This record gives sequence, structure tokens and C-alpha cells, in this order.
Amino acid sequence: MAEFAYARPLPRNPYRYVRACAWAGPILLVATLLFWGVLGQNVPPYSASLSADALAGQVRSHAALIRAGMVGQMIFSGLYLVWGIAIAKVMEAVEEDNNVLSTIQIWGAGFTVLVFEVPCAAWLAAAFRPDVMPAPVIQMLYDMGWLLFDIAYLTALQMVPLAICIINDRRAVPLIPKWLGWFTLWVAISFLLPALIAFFYSGPFARTGLLNYWVEFTLFFVFWLLVGIYVIKAVGRLEREHREQDLGA
Amino acid sequence: MPDTQIAAPPPPGIWTFIAADCAGFGIFFAVFMSERMNNPVLFDKSARLLDLRLGLTNTLILISSSWLVAMALSAADAGRVRKAKLLMMGGLAVGSCFAVLKMTEYAHKFAAGITPTTNDFFSFYFILTGVHFLHYLIGLVVLIAMILALHRQGNGASERIPWLEAGGIYWHMVDLLWLFLFPMLYLLPLR
Repeated sequence: MAEFAYARPLPRNPYRYVRACAWAGPILLVATLLFWGVLGQNVPPYSASLSADALAGQVRSHAALIRAGMVGQMIFSGLYLVWGIAIAKVMEAVEEDNNVLSTIQIWGAGFTVLVFEVPCAAWLAAAFRPDVMPAPVIQMLYDMGWLLFDIAYLTALQMVPLAICIINDRRAVPLIPKWLGWFTLWVAISFLLPALIAFFYSGPFARTGLLNYWVEFTLFFVFWLLVGIYVIKAVGRLEREHREQDLGA
Repeated sequence: MPDTQIAAPPPPGIWTFIAADCAGFGIFFAVFMSERMNNPVLFDKSARLLDLRLGLTNTLILISSSWLVAMALSAADAGRVRKAKLLMMGGLAVGSCFAVLKMTEYAHKFAAGITPTTNDFFSFYFILTGVHFLHYLIGLVVLIAMILALHRQGNGASERIPWLEAGGIYWHMVDLLWLFLFPMLYLLPLR
């Protein structure tokens, strides 16, 4: 009779691993502040108004820290996609007709990984052998990293579908509060503004400016933290609901 | 009179968006004013090159359009869907004139050799009015969606379209932001 021990299907858990994926978001957020931000000398970055020699001087004197920061960031950044999978699981619980929104969101999260990896590689290259590289080459690599990092409008691919999904949640108590959906939508639109770093070397719209650095990055990190917290809460609730359904059945 | 009291519906989530957007523009305005303090002569001299008549006309256009949309919403609330639709189309038609005048204004500036890189004032002028214009374009799409929704609903329908109010609030915000931009950009040098 031993073979019949497997006849009863094991209780399926559609949220297996999802909680761990949801934690990938806040974990990467902390790692990013440490590696990209503090070690990477990006709080704030070097100004576009610096001469090539002045910028190269900065990179040369902080090369070891920048390298450590970029290496750490490049190792951790893949977690952004993992976080996107947890967000997609929450979105799938809201989606009624198809999974278009959650699918776009996953691609947006995946592309955001590249928006970390590629600029970090450019900044790492600038700090790899800065003593033998001419200053304009260091400046070019540094600029290239920032132009891609700020202007690539790929995280919006994650934010807009997520916002639409949250706003359309028809539960009496939505899985994620609707105000966070509206906030996310607004942050996504505001991410158009950093495109202006291509036209300014100083002032509020430059890459180190009040608007395009301090405001936009604060918004990104606040979005990341809030969605991170509420996705973890939503996954917990979905697990509970599934267990109760399971017991009921 | 507790029996006549109706529980207020929860505020539409769009208010979060409106609050964030107004805060964002608030920062824009503060940055503009602080940059202006660094160089008031240049800012005033440049601002005098703006066409006050076009700016003022555009202000009137947005206010009128906002008023028509407000009327449309109260008509929709009263169940008069056809009237609401016509008023909304009026709001769209009047509102569309804003784009014509704004594009004329931009074209005049470019023809006169004035671009966003001319000086700090014109950087702000093009960016602030450009960001506002983006909001305005989204607003036009929202108005069209509202008209289509009313059209599909037909007359005498009792059920309210839930997001109609949110669309109206957004359109009023486009108007409100311009009411700050216009005096800040066009009128400050006149004082």
C-alpha cells in the first residue's frame, strides 16, 4: 500500500519562495545605498561642470572605493529582477483578464538591472586604471555611465503597469493602497525630467542638480522603499488567504 | 438629523497624484524664484520678451475650459448625460486652442533665435511650460476618454462613471498650475 501514500496531492503553495523574492527589493535598496551611493562616491556624483582634469583627479583619488562600490553593486543588482517577480505575483492576484501588466512589469524590472549593470561597468572602467588613462577618457566613461543611468526610461516600464494594476484593484481592502499606485504613476512621469541632464552641465537640471539628482533619486528610493514594504505585506496576506481557502476546501 | 447624513465617499486616489504633482511644481517654482534672485535683471529683461497677450489669452482659455468641464460634471451628476457630453466637448474644443497658441508662441521664440539654451530664464521658460504642456496633453487624452465614456453610457443612465470626477480634478490641476506659471513667467517683470 506504500505507493498509495502519494495519491493525495500535496497542498500546493502558489506563494512558495515569493516572500524571499519580495525581500530582495529592500535588501538591494540597502546594498545600493551602500555600494552605489556611499562607496561609489555618488552622494552626490561628480559634477558635469568639472573640467576633465578635475573630474579625473577626483576619480584617481577615490579609485579604490569606487571600484569596491561598483563591484558590489554589479553583484547585487540582479536582485531587482527577483523583486520584480514578487511584485508580479501580487499583481497576478489583482489581474482579472490576462497577465499583460505583470509581464511588462517584470521586463521593466529586468531592464532596470541593466540600467545598474552597464553604467556601473562604465564607472568601474573609469576607476580601473585611472593613473594611466588620459583625463578626457575618464570623463567620457563617467559621463556615459550617468547619461545611460539617468536617461534610460526603463524603470517606468515597471512603474506604470504596477500603478495601473494597483489603481484597478477591486478588493474592498486593496492589496496595495491605491494612493501608492497614484504616487508610483507620478514618479514614473517625473522620471522624464532626468532626460534634461543631456542639456545641462550645472544648475537644477544637471546630473548633480537639485531637481535631477536630489529630488529624483529621493523619489526613486521612496518609491522603492514603500513598494518594498507593501509588497511584503501583500504577499503575507495572499499566503494567509490561500491557507484559509485551503482549510475551507 | 442623523438620518439625512450620508457617509462621504472616500476621496478619489487621484488626490495623491495631485498632491505629489503640486508639490513637484512647488519645488519648480521655488527653484525658479531662487535662481531669479541670482540674476533678477536678466530674468526681467528676458521675461519682457514673452508675448503677454498670448499668455493672457491662454489663461482665459484654460479657465473657460475648466469651467465647461465643471459644468459637464454636475450635469453628469444630475443624470443628464447628453448635456454633460456636449459641455465636455466644449471644454475639449476650447482647451485645444491652448495648444495652438502655445505652439505659435514657441515658434515665434525659435524664429527670433530664442531657445532653451539662450539663458537661464529661457531654460526655465521652456522646461516649465514644457512640463506643463505634457500635463496638458495628458489632460486632453483624459477629456477625450471622458467624452467616449459618456457617449457609451447613453442618456438616462443612473450609474455614475467612477473615474469621471478624477478626470475633472486632473483637468482643473492643469488649469491651476498655469495660473501660477503665467504670473511667475510673464507678469513678474511688470510689477
